[in-house]
This record gives sequence, C-alpha cells and structure tokens, in this order.
Amino acid sequence: MAEKKIRVLLGTRKGAYVAESDLKRRTWKVLPVSNAGREVYHVVADPRHPGHLYAAVNDWMFGPMVHRSEDGGKHWKEIGTPLMPSSKERNPQMNLDGGEVQRPKHAITNLWHVEPGHPDQPNTLFLGADPHKLFRSDDLGRSWEPVSSINEHPTKKDWAPGAGGPCMHTILIDPRDARRMYVGMSAAGTFRTDDGGETWRAANRGVETPFLPTRFPEVGQCVHHVVLDAEDPTTAYRQDHGGMYVSHDGMESWKRIGKFFDDDFGFAVASARTLPGRAFFIPLEGRSRVTAQGGLQVFEWNDPKKKWRALMSPKAFPGHYGVHREGMATDGLAPAGIYVGTTTGQLIVSADAGKSWRQVPFQFPGIHSVQVANPPL
Amino acid sequence: MTWEPPSPVHMVEVHLDAWIREFGPRTREQAEARTVEELLEVLEVRYPRLRFKLRDETGKLRRYVRVFVDGEDVGREQGLQAPISGARTVDILHSIAGG
Repeated sequence: MAEKKIRVLLGTRKGAYVAESDLKRRTWKVLPVSNAGREVYHVVADPRHPGHLYAAVNDWMFGPMVHRSEDGGKHWKEIGTPLMPSSKERNPQMNLDGGEVQRPKHAITNLWHVEPGHPDQPNTLFLGADPHKLFRSDDLGRSWEPVSSINEHPTKKDWAPGAGGPCMHTILIDPRDARRMYVGMSAAGTFRTDDGGETWRAANRGVETPFLPTRFPEVGQCVHHVVLDAEDPTTAYRQDHGGMYVSHDGMESWKRIGKFFDDDFGFAVASARTLPGRAFFIPLEGRSRVTAQGGLQVFEWNDPKKKWRALMSPKAFPGHYGVHREGMATDGLAPAGIYVGTTTGQLIVSADAGKSWRQVPFQFPGIHSVQVANPPL
Repeated sequence: MTWEPPSPVHMVEVHLDAWIREFGPRTREQAEARTVEELLEVLEVRYPRLRFKLRDETGKLRRYVRVFVDGEDVGREQGLQAPISGARTVDILHSIAGG
C-alpha cells in the first residue's frame, strides 16, 4: 500500500527542510536538515518520479549546486550544475584532454528555481538562474543546455535586475501541452512559448511599471511570481511589483485585480488543485515589504465571482512578516492545505482551505520557498 | 621585453579547509605545480567534484576562498599566477564571512 504522507519542502537561508505529516496535517515531524548552512532557494518534488526531490543550492563559499534526493529528502547528492553558456564545458565532468578552455565573462550567481518537465517528458528538467538564464536538461540533471531563445531574447536590452538580482524565478508548463511554457524574470516580465522553447514572446500587456517612465512597456515588468489555475491553465494569477493581476488568455493580456487593497504589493501567490478559480495572495506594504495591517494576512481571490475574501484575521499572527515569492504553496488534498513560510522562519498551515491556521512548532531559518510533495492519491 | 624561463615544477604540501573534504580532497595533499592556478587544476583533475567549487567558471577564485603561499595571501585576480616554486606549503581556506 502506498505511503500516505504529505511532505512540505522548505528552502531556507540555512538549508533544506522536509516536514512530514499524515493526511490530517495536524502534527508535523521535521526531518534532519540537509545542506545545513547553505542558502537553498528552492526545493521541489518531481511528481513523475515519486520520492525524487530537487534543490537549488547556493553555497556562500562553493557557489551554486543542484542537489537531488531519491528518498523523499533523507539523503541528497549533488548532480550536474549548469555553467554560463559561453563555457565549452557545461558538464561538470573534468575535461582531461587538456584542451583550451573558453571561459565566460561572468559566472552564474544563484540558482532560483527547478521545474520538473511535462509528464510526457519524464527526463526533462528546467532550471532558472541569475543572471536571466533558463537551462534545460533532458537527462534528469546530468547535463544542462542554455535555452538561448529566451536567454538572448531581442528585448533583453530592456531587462534589468530586481532587488534579488536578475533572476529567472518562475517556470510554468501547461499541463495540457508540453510545448507551451511561461517564464518570469525580474525585472524583465513574463514570456510565453508555444513551440517548446524555440521562440518566445513577451506576455505583459496590461501590467503597470510604477518604477519606469513608461507605464505599460512591452517588457521590464518586475514580476514577482505567477501560478496557473488548477483547472484552466489559460488562466494565470500574477503578483507583480506593480500589483495583483489575472489573465484569462494564456498571459496575452492581464487585468489588475489588486485595487481592492490600499497597496497590492507582495511576492507570493498560489493556486490549489482542489480549488479551481481561486488564488491566494499575501499583500505586503510596498515600502517595508512586510505585512502592513498589523499581522499576517492571506486573501483568496474568487475569480468567477471577482471577489476578495480574507482567510486570516490580522490578529491571528500579529506582527510584521515578510513572505518571499515562493513562500506560499498548496497541496492537492480536499480540503486544500495552504502553507505559508515567512522570512523569519515560521511555517503556518491551514488544513481546511483557510478556515483555520496553526503554526508548525519548529523555528526554521528564514524561509525562501515552500512546496508540497503530495502522496499518491 | 626579456624572456623569463618558466618556474620549475615544484612539489608542495597543500593544507585544505576541512569543509573542502566534501568534494574529495583530504585536509593535506601533495601536488606538483608551478603556480597556484596549476595547483588548483591538479587538484581538480584528482578530485573532479572540486571543479567550479574553488574557482567559478570564469576561472576566478570564488569570493570567499583564500589561498596562502607560505602564509602570504595571494590575492584574488593576479594571485592565481603566483609562483609556488620554492614554497613549502599552500593553504586553501575560507574567509571570515557569514551571518
């Protein structure tokens, strides 16, 4: 019988953590930390290979590395790590022939996001990196190739770094069509391909740039995070530096939905498999980048009804919390679990789609990312 | 411009930070090389997982890696060309950082 455990995967400032629970999601066991002391920007489960996890590790001494666990996070091993494209030696194997090395001018600074490929491509992974780089592996991370069609996009001259650097942080694959993908970069915006990455076009129409003299440029938006709707992948929810948005046409155009708030700044956005038509946002005060209403708050956007609803009283977790772009995730259960990881290391969980919340009694380091590994359902 | 003969290849004792052992080396190694860069290449051939850990893909020492030849910090840029002929020890350590 398949193991019915749910695992919450945390990338933190000081390592990767896995918290396990049964399907009630009331009590949690935190496994021993891995990559202790290292910045881990993202940990993700590969649903095509049960038990397989990937981590984007950025060691302050030794640089970026990709790690994989094949046993649900108990043991980890370094796999291939991409290098800047102008190097002839992208594979981290040592070249023993003594040949001349063509070195790039700049190195990869940080790895931001690992995205398992479409179920039809079981050996494919994508990886987003700083500076503004997308990589693809078709051998489960043994070797990587840069996706030059987006990395060297004609609009690149109008891209800029965000506060976190020039990072490729969001990679989305249409579950109905492996050839359609979206990426998000700060501060370049979102881009869409319909031909498996051969060509890309900017996908930011309607998204404001309050930090640029042009209000609605083609590119240059500081997208913070984007998720696809659970039922309709042409619907996407976006938290941008310039507000909260929804798209109903595969990111061809965006409509701002965040005017409801005094300030619709934020980083995190999530959708849930068992709650189609809903998205979850955590508004922050744009100047301080922490919760502004006296406490943590999660809001639900009901897209069919075009209504906002608070899922949490600011009195539940009073204080000024920060939540990073991948700091909120959901599970695939019913009722949906919603998981919020804060920049000060609290993991706050709702096991009933936001009706009630409780904090996991474990102090984590500052949390960069939260993801969920569902058990086979 | 005068021609200078290359430094002779020299056997040196290398002391490595304990954290570097994760990638294969022992805390003490012996290696033959003329410069710090050659020494790092020898170690990277001996321990392939060490590649790109001490130097990034541009060839530069990573920011928090420090190399000392007989106790002298070789610095960041030109330091990789520092000769080690005649030296007894090379220390490869991490710098004080973090928080």
